Amino acid sequence: MNQTLPLKSWIQHQANRFAPALFFISLVALWELICQLGNVPNYILPSPSAIITAFFNVEFSRWMTHLWATLRVALMGFVLSICIALPLSIGMMRSELMNRILYPALIVIQSTPVVAVAPLIIVLLGTDDPSRVLITCLITFFPLVVSTTTGMLETPPEMIELSQSLRAPRYRETWQIRIPYAIPHIFSGLRVSITLAIIGAVVAEFVAAEEGLGYFIQFSTSFFKIPQAFAGLIFLSVISLLLFKSVQWVQIWLFPWSLPKKKL
Amino acid sequence: MDKLSENASDDFLGNSSDDKKAAYVSLKGVGHKYDPSPDTPMVVQNIDLDIHRHEFVAVVGPSGCGKSTLLRMVAGLLIPSHGDVSVFNLPVTEPRDDVGIVFQKANLLPWLTVRKNVLFPLKHKYGSYSANDEKRANELLEMAGLTQFADKMPDELSGGMQQRVGIIRALLLNPDILLMDEPFSALDALTREQIGFDLLDIWKEHPKTVLFITHSITEAVLLSDRILVMSKRPGTVLDMIDVDLPRPRSQKTINSPRFAELTDLIRGYIYEPNTPA
Repeated sequence: MNQTLPLKSWIQHQANRFAPALFFISLVALWELICQLGNVPNYILPSPSAIITAFFNVEFSRWMTHLWATLRVALMGFVLSICIALPLSIGMMRSELMNRILYPALIVIQSTPVVAVAPLIIVLLGTDDPSRVLITCLITFFPLVVSTTTGMLETPPEMIELSQSLRAPRYRETWQIRIPYAIPHIFSGLRVSITLAIIGAVVAEFVAAEEGLGYFIQFSTSFFKIPQAFAGLIFLSVISLLLFKSVQWVQIWLFPWSLPKKKL
Repeated sequence: MDKLSENASDDFLGNSSDDKKAAYVSLKGVGHKYDPSPDTPMVVQNIDLDIHRHEFVAVVGPSGCGKSTLLRMVAGLLIPSHGDVSVFNLPVTEPRDDVGIVFQKANLLPWLTVRKNVLFPLKHKYGSYSANDEKRANELLEMAGLTQFADKMPDELSGGMQQRVGIIRALLLNPDILLMDEPFSALDALTREQIGFDLLDIWKEHPKTVLFITHSITEAVLLSDRILVMSKRPGTVLDMIDVDLPRPRSQKTINSPRFAELTDLIRGYIYEPNTPA
């Protein structure tokens, strides 16, 4: 801690630093207060303390079972959509014809509400993981395709001229210039996609599942265990947040040069 | 395999004085429009230009006059719709191995170290490079005074240092022709002057045929043997000026009366009385 700092500015500094946390804590406190003072019944709006109690009333192993079910589907769908989006983007970037054919198809898929299609996919592929992974994949791959393609097309034209002046093979232009240039874009796509993957997995569980956090929330709600449903919801949000952060950590770890430059 | 030996044009041509007089890079009646329809205006037209071997030719003109278009034609990146471009009597139909390009921005790859950026042309063209090539890259880095920055990332370097890397990257394949597209325009005035003198040093030690595009009249006069002055779009040749200033050029050159005469002469072309800037 900087000792030379006057006390007043030190307090200001600390207040700034913890402002988000303070805001969050006061919000929760306010919520608790409203529930306690207004005698709001737990089945309408459970108080934070009731939610915490409900969370610990559920066995840890049960939480893990549900978490694993959701996480498994979300991550499989996420990885699958990366595997689809990357080659698709490269194809669309390199071939005008492919771009003209695929782009409208992608728009159609993206405009179709996946929630509405989900039951049909379950009918088509059954009630197991494959249909859930497909639903997740359908929700997540569009932002990835868009960001990857945009990134590759935004490569400085001089770099492409450098490549052409060397008469390098086109696959090297793609791998040594365009894809690395797209890394910042790809990662912003991945950050959007990973949170969508959780949404996709939950949507799939709402339609047909016997386990998973989405299923847990729905099941708790239907038995009027509202504090328990809230506990599941908050757990899900925390997981989603952690996944979002992990994507950022991967970028910092593998591609430190791709981060926005800090202005000193 | 030593990839550098492919560029053996030096040995092939020798250094006899005859070559110096013959046109090495030649543009005859060159014009270009991006669309063949008659309504599309020409970007450049009726350009005739002969550059001798190891000559330093600058092109100046108002922005948008097609200076860079000209450079891209010599590079083989753009085939003109009218006229012919040839290098050593061979028509330019695609990019050549003996041409190095320096761009306006240094255009370094931010994920590669300085040394790997210098080696990038080999890595990109052939997929790999040898220990010999790395030695050559180190020599180039030393020449540019960048040895201690070889393992740094480009964003740790100043703008001037980045452009030095851009220049030695263009020299890696030992090209005979160096095309420079407003290479110093992103730099501050002081850095710009210094890097200009450094370029002349490099050019003196490793003679190249240089086509130097710039919008700085003083820079053109200070560096080049001859200056092609272009009109505003559609770019045509207004004049070809011999820069009869003695070499080596230095700070003193800038203060000489002849330097002022030449810059005034070119200014007269660029700022015509009836053409508002």
